[in-house]
Amino acid sequence: MSELFQETIIISIFAATIRIATPLILAALGELITERAGILNLGVEGTMLMGAFMAFVGAYFSDSIVIGIILAMIGSALMSFITVFMAATLKVEQVVTGLAVNLLAAGMTIYIYKLFFSGGAGGFPTIDPMPTLALPLLSKIPYIGPIFFTQKAITYIAFFMIPAVWFFLYRTKWGLEIRCLGENPKVIDTKGMSVTVRQYFAVIMGGVLIGLGGAFLTIGLVGRFVPEITAGRGWLALVIVIAGNWRPSGILLAALAFAFLEALQLQIQGIGVTHLPYQIFLGLPYVIAIVLMVLKSGKGRSEEPARLGMPYFRGER
Amino acid sequence: MSLTIEKRLAPSKKWMVLSILFALVGSAIASALLLRVTGADVGVAFAAFFDGAFGSSRAINKTLLRATPLILTGIAVTVAFRAKIWNIGAEGQLYAGAMASYWIYFIIGPDIGLFILPVLFLAGFAGGGLYGGLAGFLKSRFQVNEVLTTVMLNYVITYFMSYMLVSGPWRDPASYYAQTPRIDKSVWLPKIMSGNKLHIGFIIAVLCAIAVYIMLTRSSLGYEIRAVGHNTRTSMFKGINIGRTAILVMLISGGLAGLAGMIEVFGVSHRLSAEISHGYGFTGIIIAMLAILNPIAIIFVAILFGAFYVGGLTMQVATGVPSVITSAIEAIILLLFLSASTLTRFQITWKDKT
Repeated sequence: MSELFQETIIISIFAATIRIATPLILAALGELITERAGILNLGVEGTMLMGAFMAFVGAYFSDSIVIGIILAMIGSALMSFITVFMAATLKVEQVVTGLAVNLLAAGMTIYIYKLFFSGGAGGFPTIDPMPTLALPLLSKIPYIGPIFFTQKAITYIAFFMIPAVWFFLYRTKWGLEIRCLGENPKVIDTKGMSVTVRQYFAVIMGGVLIGLGGAFLTIGLVGRFVPEITAGRGWLALVIVIAGNWRPSGILLAALAFAFLEALQLQIQGIGVTHLPYQIFLGLPYVIAIVLMVLKSGKGRSEEPARLGMPYFRGER
Repeated sequence: MSLTIEKRLAPSKKWMVLSILFALVGSAIASALLLRVTGADVGVAFAAFFDGAFGSSRAINKTLLRATPLILTGIAVTVAFRAKIWNIGAEGQLYAGAMASYWIYFIIGPDIGLFILPVLFLAGFAGGGLYGGLAGFLKSRFQVNEVLTTVMLNYVITYFMSYMLVSGPWRDPASYYAQTPRIDKSVWLPKIMSGNKLHIGFIIAVLCAIAVYIMLTRSSLGYEIRAVGHNTRTSMFKGINIGRTAILVMLISGGLAGLAGMIEVFGVSHRLSAEISHGYGFTGIIIAMLAILNPIAIIFVAILFGAFYVGGLTMQVATGVPSVITSAIEAIILLLFLSASTLTRFQITWKDKT
C-alpha cells in the first residue's frame, strides 16, 4: 500500500469515529442528566427511535432539516414526558416503564411508517441528508481538519454539549439541585423546592438530547428511515454512561472507544482485508460492553447516583 | 387542600381488577383512534379482528397456537420479575433454546423419530437456561446490571445465529433465504387433533405455567424468590444466598424462554430461521405485567395476546391497516395498566393543609 493510501484510510477511520460517536454522545449525555436526577430512563432506545422517526417525517414533508430537528425534539420530549410522568408522578417501577416506552416507540414508528410510506412504487422514500459543514480555516488544517472539522452540524453540537452539560451540572444552581436529586432528594424537598418539577425538567431535557441523537441517524446520515434504525444504540448509550462513570468527560472517552471500534469494523469490511464473518464485528460492541461492565465492577469510586431508579416519597427515610 | 399520595398497607384487589379493565377499555379506544386516522371503518376492522381471532374453531386454534410461545415467555419473565431480577433477555434466550435444540437435532438426525423429543426439550431448556444463567452469574458474581447484560446478549445471539444461517454450516444450500433445511416430518411436534396446526407444545406450555405456579407458591425456592423480590436486604439476613438465587432464577427463566424457541422450531416453522420469534420475548414482558406476575393468569392473558396477533392479521386483510398496529396497542395497554395500577399500591387523598 502506498503511503498516501494509508494516510487516507487512517483519516477516514478517525473521521468515521467522530461521526459514529455523535448519536452515542448525545444519547449518553441525555441519559446522564436523567440519571443524575435519580431517574433511570431505560427508554433511551425508544426515545431515540422516536427522534429518528420524527426527524425524518418532518424533513420529508417540509423539505427542511430544521423542521425535522424541531419535530425530533418534540417527539422525544413527549416520550420522555411519558417516562417521567410514570416515574416521578405515578412512581411506577422504572425498568418496566422504560421497556413500555421502547415497545411503544417501536410499534408506533413502524405503524405510522407503513401507513404513510408503503405502497409507493418508488421504493423507500428518501430525503437529502444534512450537508457536510466544513468549518472555514479549521477544516484546512492537515489531518485535524478532515477528521474534526469536516462534519455535520449536529456533530459539532454534540461535541459542544460535552462541556455545556458539564458546566450545567457542575457550575449552575439547577445542575447542583439535579445532582442532589440523585443523591438525596430530601434535601431539595426540605428546602421547600419541588422535587417533581426538577425531575421533569431533567428527564425532558435529557430526552431532547437523546432525540437529537436519533435525528442524526436519519436526517444526518442516511436520509431515510428504516424500522428499528437505532439498532441498540440507545442501549449502548446506557452502557456508555456506566463506563464513563457518570461524568461528561468519561462519556466522551467511552463513546469514542465504541465509535472507533465500529469505524474500524466498517473500514475492514469496506476494503475486504479479512475473511472473518461480518457478524463478528456487528456483535463485538455488545460483547465488549458486557466485558467493560464486568471489568468496571468494584473498581474505583463509582459516581453512580445513590438514589438511581428509586422513587422519592416524602416522609420516607 | 392538597393532593397527597400515600402507600397502601396492602395492594387493593378492587383497583387491580379495575385497572385491568381500564387498560383494556382505554386501549380499545386508542385503537379505534389509530384506525380512524387511517380512514378505515372502525366497525369493519373490529368485526374482522374478532372474527379472525375467535370466529371459528380454526381461528381459535390459530390463536392458541400463537399463545403457546407467549405463555412460556410470559412465565419466564414472571419467575425473574418475582425476584426483582429484570430479565429483558427472554427474546435472546428463546433463540438460544431454538439453536441448542436444532444443534442436537443436527447431530443426532431424524433416525430415532419421536424418541428424540425429550432430548430436544431438554436441549431447548438448557440452551436458554445457560444463556440466561450467564446474565445471572454476572449479576451475582460481579454485580453487573442484568437489564443491560440481557439486552446486550439479545444482540449477540442474533448476530451469532445470523452467521450460522447466512454463511455458517446450518445454511440450507438449496434456499435463497438464510435458514436451515426443513426438519424431517418424523420429528415435528405431534398435533393435538389431526387437521389442525395446534401441537402438544400448547399443553406443555400450560403444564409449565401450572408447575411454575406451584414452584412459586409451594416450594422453598419459590419462597426464596418471593423473599428476595420483596426485600433483598431482609432476605439476606434470613440466610438466603442471594447470589445463588439470582443464578437459579435466571437459569429457570432462560430455560422456559428457551423451551418456547424449541417449540416454535419443531412445532411451527419446522426449520430454524430469524423469523421464528415475532418479538415473543418482549411481548412476554407485557403479558407478565398484565397478569400481575401470576402464572395461571398468564395463560389467559397470553391467549388474549395470541388473539391480538391473529385478529390483527385478519384485520389487515379486511381493511388494509398494517397489522403492526397491534404492537403499538400492546404497548399502550401496558402503559395504561401501569398508570392505573398505581391506585392498587397508593391511595390519593385530599388533605387540609395545616
